[in-house]
Amino acid sequence: MKRENGTGTKKTGGILVLTGIVSFILIFTYLSLNLKNIDSGYEMQSLNKKQKTLLEEIDKLKSKKANLLNLQRVEKEMVQQLGYQYPEVSQFIKVFEDSNESNK
Amino acid sequence: MKAISNERRRVVLLFAIFCLWVLFIGASLVKVQVLDYSKNVLKVQAQSSRTIPLLPKRGTIYDCNGEILAISVKTQSVYLENKLNEESQEIFNTITKGNILSLTDNEKKSISQRISRGEKFIWVKRKLSDEEYEALNKIKESFKGQSSLEFLEEYKRVYPQKSLASHILGGVGIDEQGLCGLEYSVDSIIKGKEGKMKVEQDARQKAFDIQYIGEHVEGKDVYLTIDSSVQFFVEKELKNTIEKHNAKGGTVIVMDSRDGAILAMASYPDFSPDEVQNSASKITRNKAISLIYHPGSTFKIITVSTALETNVCYPQQIFDCENGSFQVTRELSIKDDHPHSQLTLEDIIVNSSNIGAAKIGAKLGEATLDKWIRQFGFGEKVDLHLPEEESGIYNQRKKWSGISVYYLAHGYEIGVTPIQMIRAYNIIASGGYIVHPYVIKEIQGETLPSPLDEKKKILSVGTVQRMTAIMMQVVERGTGKNAKIEGIPIAAKTGTSKRIARNKDNPRAYISSFGGFFPANNPRITMFVVVEEPQGQYYGGDVAAPLFKTIAEKLMIYLGIFPELENKNDTRL
Repeated sequence: MKRENGTGTKKTGGILVLTGIVSFILIFTYLSLNLKNIDSGYEMQSLNKKQKTLLEEIDKLKSKKANLLNLQRVEKEMVQQLGYQYPEVSQFIKVFEDSNESNK
Repeated sequence: MKAISNERRRVVLLFAIFCLWVLFIGASLVKVQVLDYSKNVLKVQAQSSRTIPLLPKRGTIYDCNGEILAISVKTQSVYLENKLNEESQEIFNTITKGNILSLTDNEKKSISQRISRGEKFIWVKRKLSDEEYEALNKIKESFKGQSSLEFLEEYKRVYPQKSLASHILGGVGIDEQGLCGLEYSVDSIIKGKEGKMKVEQDARQKAFDIQYIGEHVEGKDVYLTIDSSVQFFVEKELKNTIEKHNAKGGTVIVMDSRDGAILAMASYPDFSPDEVQNSASKITRNKAISLIYHPGSTFKIITVSTALETNVCYPQQIFDCENGSFQVTRELSIKDDHPHSQLTLEDIIVNSSNIGAAKIGAKLGEATLDKWIRQFGFGEKVDLHLPEEESGIYNQRKKWSGISVYYLAHGYEIGVTPIQMIRAYNIIASGGYIVHPYVIKEIQGETLPSPLDEKKKILSVGTVQRMTAIMMQVVERGTGKNAKIEGIPIAAKTGTSKRIARNKDNPRAYISSFGGFFPANNPRITMFVVVEEPQGQYYGGDVAAPLFKTIAEKLMIYLGIFPELENKNDTRL
């Protein structure tokens, strides 16, 4: 009888320990998942912010590029800085089609 | 016994205090959790979440090669959250002392007055440059977080090409609302829709969750048919011509003959879209679509095309041009600047005889002329999706006087716009089809109907060929000789007319115009040039034709249009 009682107590104890472990694992998993979720939320927000900033930066750079390619500015720079000149009428090159070449 | 009774009393007292304490806590909990529930929920929500408006980014406008013509970029605007007048005044003084912002004296005075009046929200300057923002941020930091200087993110419209295509683009106001031009007409498409987002944040105000409330729609990008390089040299040449002839203004339209795509549309005087709010409406007005003027001799093309198409006349038919003066009625006499006795129908166009054209008009009769003027698209808008477009002035037939046909035949008693004229000229260039001009090539995510789907045949191939041949003679040996380019066949017509609203100070106010297309044997480009009130020389052939030629030469090189040459050893330019 004593032996049977001891086995029963052990069994009960085992179930309790097992329940405890399972509960711990469940709670731990739940908490860690929740924490992970919150962490992902933070990360996502920071990445979203970064993406937004980068997109804004791209727009600014596009605008700067377009400003630099402004035709009035390019023409001014070419004439003033690089010394380009508009060709005189006499400087136009007349292109003749080679009749021998076109026959080939 | 007494000691025991004292002890029991103390215990009872302590128990009573304990009970009261428990009751107090219970009551407080009931108050917080039940009675003030809604109020406290709002408090918590206010601390842990906030709603932020999401400003839509206005769509970008591109030219046909993808070059940016207008773009919105994020900028900062600065304001004073005026908590303490003295502190705000001190900050503002620091800003003005450093001359960081280019504020006028009036603006400075107004801001100071608003501070002293104790207004709580005062704009200092909106849409700062990067340098201004950095300098102001330093000032804010120097006040160690106590500053009432605050920044707000806003979008700023930037026009990188400055005044290029300003009359097409128009401009926006301080709140990015379209004021004129395309910015106004497609405002609802490119401005987008403001949305909101709800941000959940922790005790350190760090966001960890976002929910989007309401539909947030970014503005759509718009692609134009305009080629900024063509637009650039067209604007430049137009300006040169206007300055050379000391003219009041002018406009040039360059169009692809095949599909009606507008490659350039310039008006002068021009303006910078950044400064649209400070520009007078007469400067921001797009003359290409809103200038109403008598077309004069350029309208003879419509009269003669009608006469040929309806078989009322034939090219070699001879007309008596009355040696330069034709008395139609007692009140009306029509004159030619260069008198002729007899001219063929072809020579009436080549020499631009008003008398000859008037006689052709009379032969056509009121009903036919009216029907064909309307067929050519006069009296109705072209509808380019640009605001301020005029439909011109063209009377109903019942309002015509008995001599209207004489006037209409040589371009009077009708008010047209340059865009209507180029559409009419392009009917000949496109083989007899009326093709609708357009400036919007594509709107992001939207399919626009092809302009070629709507094209309608107006003139027969025979009439088109005859008209092209006549118009080529205008440039070859007629009034348009100044537009001649060696090796390039050009079909065109000159026009010189008196202004509709005559300037009392300048009774000799003329409009010089020139319209045509090239290469005449396989048209690629149709162009129309109008110069308002040139001084000195004023004939279309002397003022507008050389401008046409200069632009055409550049276009031929830029677009690589070289016609087939009959003589292989000819100059190709």
